[in-house]
Amino acid sequence: MTDRDDKALAGEYVLGLLEGAAERDAERRFGSDPAFAREVEGWRARFAALDDTAVPHPAGDELWRKIEAGVPAAAARTTPSSGAWTRFWNNLAALRATALGASLATLVLAVGLGFAIRAASQQPTMVAVLLDGNRAGAVVHAFADGRVVLVPITSIAVPAGRALEVWTLPSRERGPVSVGLMNQARTLQLSLKDLPPPGTDQLFEITLEPATGSPTGRPTGPVLFKGNTALAL
Amino acid sequence: MSHASPDNATEVQVAAALARCAAGDRPALRVIYDIEAQRMIGVARRMLRRQDLAEEAVQDTFMRVWRAAATFDPQKGAARGWLYAILRNSALSILRDESRFTSDEDAADQAAPMTESALSQLPETSALRRCLERLDPARRSVVVLSYVHGLSHGEMAGKLGVPLGTVKSWVRRSLISLQECMG
Repeated sequence: MTDRDDKALAGEYVLGLLEGAAERDAERRFGSDPAFAREVEGWRARFAALDDTAVPHPAGDELWRKIEAGVPAAAARTTPSSGAWTRFWNNLAALRATALGASLATLVLAVGLGFAIRAASQQPTMVAVLLDGNRAGAVVHAFADGRVVLVPITSIAVPAGRALEVWTLPSRERGPVSVGLMNQARTLQLSLKDLPPPGTDQLFEITLEPATGSPTGRPTGPVLFKGNTALAL
Repeated sequence: MSHASPDNATEVQVAAALARCAAGDRPALRVIYDIEAQRMIGVARRMLRRQDLAEEAVQDTFMRVWRAAATFDPQKGAARGWLYAILRNSALSILRDESRFTSDEDAADQAAPMTESALSQLPETSALRRCLERLDPARRSVVVLSYVHGLSHGEMAGKLGVPLGTVKSWVRRSLISLQECMG
């Protein structure tokens, strides 16, 4: 089969036009033939804009309840609530549980954020995705030359007279250390000059603090986003 | 991508939630629901016409997403693309199950307006729009009618009043042109 035939076949598969044996064959090749799978992904990307032309329709809680009822209960996982930040800092089990989710998210995002990384013209050695349980709020990139940069990826509301303070936990003995303060979400070079370079599974978080920063040198406000570092791919 | 379309941040959020689903984190599935369910119903309704069937397709999709989240590989494609491929697959299964689906309303609709309404919703800057507009209307319609409305080769032949072989060859040539145009 020629290259061009395969491209068109992959396109027909994505259009949903293959039936019976031809469809099953394409499905099998999608799983086993990387060149064919790349063609399929190429067509999905080309046509994706058409999905976004659909008019959104209400999706109610009833539909969600049906979905939830069909999803088997997962193993119990510890997810600390953002209000319980003091317990969070002191609870190693919670830190580890969050690290699992966050490192997986990081693996995905290290790839998904290729555009941001290219813009930095240098591969970060370490990446942390800061989440609030519902959404990713910011990414921390640590570079080989010692720079550590925080890039917000969503808008973060900051009330008047307050600021966003960035913290990291270099070691449990030392406790949280302030590494940045800003009055609005923006790309921020973090100051870790007095700290060792971030290791894997090192916690970063953003808290809401008074405009001049935490008066105690420790986080005092609610944790908005948090996540742990992982090696960049 | 246009201002009207979900942006890169949405893709990043869905990808992150998918990774958490893979780790067994149920609230992450709700995150995806909150971000995408409304548009997913819209996509399924264009294919299935009925709200109840569209919801069924979306429900089936979320079950499949939960079970298969660990198989999603971000190196191979976009998270939202993966999600919508599963949705289209679910909707097509319902659509092709003719014993419980009647397409009376469907048959009455004219091909041209069905095609042009989706086309006109594409952002002006979209490469897909630019390249579809280069095709002549009949060839462009087979792409949109199959992708957006889930029509089969045979249904398109009926709607366009041309032989099955002609539809098949239009699809192939349109795909080749699009691939060359979009790269």
